[in-house]
Amino acid sequence: MAPQALLSPLHQADGSATYSANGYSVIGAVNGPVEVSRRDELPEEAAIEVIVRPAAGVGSPRERHLESLLRTTLQHIILTRAHPRTLIQLTLQITSLPDEESAGDGSALSYSSLPLLPPLLTTALLALLSASIPLSTTLAAALVAISATGKIKCAPTAAEMVRAGPGVSSLHVFAFSAGRALVLAESEGDFEFGAWEEACAVAEEACCERVAGMEVDGEAGNGQAFLRGVVEGKVGREMRWRMAV
Amino acid sequence: MPRAAEISVNEREFILQGLKENIRLDGRPFDAFRSLELNFGDEHGVADVQLGKTRVIARVSAEVTAPFVDRKFDGIFNISTEFSPMASPAFEIGRPTEAENILSRILEKAIRRSGALDTESLCIIAGLKCFSLRADLHILDHDGGLIDASCIAVIAALQHFRRPDVAVEGENATIFSIREREPIPLSILHHPICVTFSYYNAGEIMLMDANLAEEQVREGEAVITMNRHGEVCQIAKYGGVSVDPMALLNCTSVALEKVKDITKFIQRRLEEDAKKRDVGGLIAELSAENAR
Repeated sequence: MAPQALLSPLHQADGSATYSANGYSVIGAVNGPVEVSRRDELPEEAAIEVIVRPAAGVGSPRERHLESLLRTTLQHIILTRAHPRTLIQLTLQITSLPDEESAGDGSALSYSSLPLLPPLLTTALLALLSASIPLSTTLAAALVAISATGKIKCAPTAAEMVRAGPGVSSLHVFAFSAGRALVLAESEGDFEFGAWEEACAVAEEACCERVAGMEVDGEAGNGQAFLRGVVEGKVGREMRWRMAV
Repeated sequence: MPRAAEISVNEREFILQGLKENIRLDGRPFDAFRSLELNFGDEHGVADVQLGKTRVIARVSAEVTAPFVDRKFDGIFNISTEFSPMASPAFEIGRPTEAENILSRILEKAIRRSGALDTESLCIIAGLKCFSLRADLHILDHDGGLIDASCIAVIAALQHFRRPDVAVEGENATIFSIREREPIPLSILHHPICVTFSYYNAGEIMLMDANLAEEQVREGEAVITMNRHGEVCQIAKYGGVSVDPMALLNCTSVALEKVKDITKFIQRRLEEDAKKRDVGGLIAELSAENAR
């Protein structure tokens, strides 16, 4: 199923977004810049707080790990120096997971937190865009699985991963900025450096827009193109009053 | 922790003046609920309730555990209400606010202690295995009426939830996954619904389903929980203002009408959802029941 996004579905938060892809649905809200507690206050930049809430149950070390990954990545994108001594608070609530994830059948899905990372990152970025927090660039993320036979598969679905079972030897998440710079690389499992480089190239292809002149019409799976479409829709709606004659 | 923006003196006066002239800020009559919407997720046991701008998602999940030693024949049922900063920056994780405490206490009284869910039916093998049911409430948007919306969400999610089927042979229990056997709905004994009344002007003015601004200027509130048979499950009264007992009794009959409407609404939405899932009447065809 093609990924779907909705900007600003919530009323109370400064900015919010829902994003669903591959059976994962996440709803994100941004409050900021708001007053910061004395403990977290930074004299020259905004503090960033990321909260990940699981669909069922209370937060575990897995969510804390995801939070720290998201925070360190977003720190480089948000122009924190524009809002010193404030807080930018990002809450991500996972609303649904693929059916296969909860099955717990020993495949790569049930113990890894990496498949969650791309939807969380995309939701975070969309929520930040919706809250009009100044960013230096946008980013797109992709999940790549390398099978035991060395086959590289970009954005595998949950069903595919369960079917492969122990056949998936490593999982990788890459995030690229709009300028094709690698901003996040997380890997799990056994792999060679050569395979990692290949996976990185595949992810870059999936995340970044094609160089001008090589444009293919109707390309859906592309991360940056998807973001552009969502933001274009938002700007179009907001600027409707100008277009009307 | 950032503080929530408090309502200004002018706004407060404006709302109170309006109420004295029988006008609500959003033009509703005093005894009207905001528009209620209820949607179910793709999975069983997920209910998304929108009451005006308030939005709450309840998710029910089950796992198999050992029952409590002193309650061998009962399953376990918990409601978890943890506010996140998504609804309001004033909510902080791990530091419950008063509103959060009141919400969890009322849901506990209204749903758990009133015996809405038959916990004995969750028992698999006495003293050894039982289902542990957990309802997680996610408050996404906060515009007042959290107690009413949360109660509707939990009751709807419980009715929508299906637990996996089990087969017991002596000391061994087999839990069948959703693919192997059609999962089973929970046995729910009655459907309690909360209705909140807010009091203004020393208890003279009574509002139903106040929104956030109206909640911030109210002097007292009374939460009445009833089921559609008119049985009162609990009454809780908060705030300093005193309320005439006869007026409170009158509230229960007003609440009953609302509870009937809401229960009917939940039932209708559940039926619509069941029809949507049952593509081509497959479930009826798969049933092995004989026509008698």
